Amino acid sequence: MDPQDLEFINDSLDRDVELREKIKEEVGELDRKTRSMVGLLNKIHSTPQDKIPPLVDSVRPGLQDLQTTTTAIYELIPPDQFWRWKEMWSNSMRNAVFCATLMEYLTSGTLMSLASASAALGIREEWKNRFTLPAEDYLHGLITLVNELSRLAVNAVTLGNYEEPIRISKFVKDLFAGFSMLNLKNDTLRRRFDSLKYDIKKIEEVVYDVSLRKLAHPA
Amino acid sequence: MASSQTHSLHTKEAVIDLFDHFREELDEQNDRRERLIKSSRDITNLSKRCIFLLHRVATEDTKEDLETRALRAAKQGWGKLRDIQRIFASMKCELEGDLYWRHQKSVSPGLQEYIEALSFAHYLEHETLISYQAVQQTLCDEAGTPYFPLTISDYLLGLSDLTGELMRYAISAISRKGGRAKASDICAFVRHCKADFEGMCPRVRGLSKKQSVTNQSLQKIEDAAYTIAVRSSEYDLPSDILDDIVARSISGYDNSHSNYDRKPERWRDRDGSGDEDEYY
Repeated sequence: MDPQDLEFINDSLDRDVELREKIKEEVGELDRKTRSMVGLLNKIHSTPQDKIPPLVDSVRPGLQDLQTTTTAIYELIPPDQFWRWKEMWSNSMRNAVFCATLMEYLTSGTLMSLASASAALGIREEWKNRFTLPAEDYLHGLITLVNELSRLAVNAVTLGNYEEPIRISKFVKDLFAGFSMLNLKNDTLRRRFDSLKYDIKKIEEVVYDVSLRKLAHPA
Repeated sequence: MASSQTHSLHTKEAVIDLFDHFREELDEQNDRRERLIKSSRDITNLSKRCIFLLHRVATEDTKEDLETRALRAAKQGWGKLRDIQRIFASMKCELEGDLYWRHQKSVSPGLQEYIEALSFAHYLEHETLISYQAVQQTLCDEAGTPYFPLTISDYLLGLSDLTGELMRYAISAISRKGGRAKASDICAFVRHCKADFEGMCPRVRGLSKKQSVTNQSLQKIEDAAYTIAVRSSEYDLPSDILDDIVARSISGYDNSHSNYDRKPERWRDRDGSGDEDEYY
């Protein structure tokens, strides 16, 4: 190899290593922030219904705070290279989607769209080829949401909230109908989707228990 | 929550609408991925054939010297390589913008095999290592716009496979006229490649594994050179007569060394259709 070719290659490799280190640092930050949100949201299982809104409000600043980190990552990624690096933060972003969609569910009882989730995480449309929220990651976040809601259905009843499982059941069924429309290839998303039926079964059992005992009084 | 798009979804229909959109998007990406994998496999196959052709022509039994044969092999190889470049050209629209990195893993195997063939042809013609820029140049349209950005990693991993081809070439050529000088040139060249790549190993995923294959190839050339040196020392003869003796002594070489490991299997197969290959 010519000395100048060798130098060119070594320089390029060095730049990549350096960039990877910088991204890693920000991703660490993203991970730390999402984990602390997940930790706070875990309290929903032991919080009575009337205390849920203040709990969600207490997590909102955390969600807001994620935007500085997503912006920092966006600024590091060279044009068109989103997919080159995204593996580094997919897990954190999926957790972030989970938090945002859970908060939306707890607030309005509805599903937060991909576009709203992106907006909540501070991701802008014009960042598209450098930082975006791909459908796969959003869908992973939704599956985590269903996992969590099946636990909430159980724990809400323990806390005396008998209507919650019925709301959850309706929400999750709609979501499942949505997932069933996708042609998933044999990957982790597919496997996680396949496991949704156990969550649904669990929720159904709770609904069955409360309806049988006429505990719930749906509006 | 400014636009209507960013509202939450209150009805089942809205949820279904959202997923309808995902289905379209996921299907489109999966289809594209399938197409690219198919092209990449085609490229792998054509590249292998090109490598076989290069070996075949470069070590043909003719009266010409090795250089002439090498040049003719390279010339014929270029024809094959141009066919492969046309496939890359047809992939251009599937790899625009951020799509390249999205599907890089699907394209990479074929691309590396192509670089192996290309660098072998280049070596036969110029006896040098093809540069990164020269490889990228072969993947550009007439206006000089790249079909996609060549990664350093694919470039290096493709080149790493070149050393194996050179080992096969050196050992086939060693029994021909002028082959011992050729083998010693190749030996020096491969040693050089190995040294250049060594420092890059920790920064390129998969390179250190290929580096150990390079090491084995190098050892095989060295062993062959050693055999020749030992046997020729017994004779005090001019080199062209020695060539004849070597030709005889080497004729049993292929068989005695072919169980060395998996690599020579592939070499022996070079005229056949040896499809069972470690690159699949």
